[in-house]
Amino acid sequence: MSGRGNPRSQGGFSLPEVLAALLIVTFVITVSFTAFLERNRRLEQASEIMLAYQSLANEAEFRRRITYSQLLDDVKFRSGPALPLLEPLAPYDTVVNVEEVKTGVKNVTMTVRWRNGERVARLTLVRVDTGGTPLW
Amino acid sequence: MVRQRGYTLLEVTVMMSVFGALLAIFFVLTAEMRKWEKRLPVNYMRHPQVAAVMMRLRRDVLDANVTGTGPYRGEFGTFKQGPKELILDTVLPNGTTQTVVWDFTEPSVVRRHAYTGQLKTETWVARGMPPDFMSTTKITAVEFADRPYGVRITASDSNGKVAIDQILQPRSHH
Repeated sequence: MSGRGNPRSQGGFSLPEVLAALLIVTFVITVSFTAFLERNRRLEQASEIMLAYQSLANEAEFRRRITYSQLLDDVKFRSGPALPLLEPLAPYDTVVNVEEVKTGVKNVTMTVRWRNGERVARLTLVRVDTGGTPLW
Repeated sequence: MVRQRGYTLLEVTVMMSVFGALLAIFFVLTAEMRKWEKRLPVNYMRHPQVAAVMMRLRRDVLDANVTGTGPYRGEFGTFKQGPKELILDTVLPNGTTQTVVWDFTEPSVVRRHAYTGQLKTETWVARGMPPDFMSTTKITAVEFADRPYGVRITASDSNGKVAIDQILQPRSHH
C-alpha cells in the first residue's frame, strides 16, 4: 500500500506541491483583492466627482448671471474665495474659459482638475446676448 | 520507524518570502486606500432620502416666485425663516403660487409642507435621514447682484468635512 492514505508514509508535501498550492491561493487572493480595490477606487472616484460637480453647479449659478459683455476668462471661481468642498481634492486647479462661438453666443466652460490633472470635471454653459434683459 | 523529515530551511524561507510579499502588497494597498478615504467627506448623496430632499428643495428654489416682494417669507404660521427652516413662495406649472415650508428641525426627519393660502395641501416626509446630516444642515442666503437672494444649503460629516454645499438661485419666470 502506498500514498498519503497510508499512515506509515508521512513524508509530507514536496516543495513543488506547496508552491503550486500557494500559487493558487495567491491567484485567488489577488483576484479578490483587485476586485475589492477596484470597487473602492470607483466609490472614491464617485465621491470626488460629486464634490467637483457640486462646486461646478454652484459656479454656474454665478456665471449665468454675469452681464454678457463681462464674461471673460478667469482662474478663480466666484462661488467662494475658499472652496471647502474642493479641499479634499487639494491640490486642485480651477479655470473658466470663455469662447465666443458666434456673434452673441459664448460658451462658458468651468473646469476643475485634481490629482495632478489626471482627473477633470467640466461644465459648459451656453450664454446668449439677450440685449440686457433679465432673462437669466 | 516512520521517517519525519519536515521542511528544509530553504523551503520554509521560500514560503515565508512569498507570504511576506503578499502581506506587504496587502498592507501597502490598504494603507493607500485608507489615506484617500480619510481625505474625502461622507458622500451623503448616496443616501436616497438625502438625494430626494436635495432634488425637491432645488426644484422649489428654482421655481420660487421672484415677482412682487420676492419669494422668501420671514415667518409662516409657527415656522420662522432660519438655518433649519426655509419658507418660500413657488410657482406651480398652472401659474398659481403656493407657499412651501422646509422643516429640518426634527432629528432624522425632513418635512416639506405646501400651502395654498393658509390651507395645507400637502406634506412630504423624508425619514431615516443621517444624524450627522441633520445636525449640520444649515440654510443661509447668498447674495447675487441685482437678483433675489439665492439659497445655500450646507452639511458636514462627523469629521467636520463639508459634504454638501449647494447654491441655488430662483429662475426668472418670464
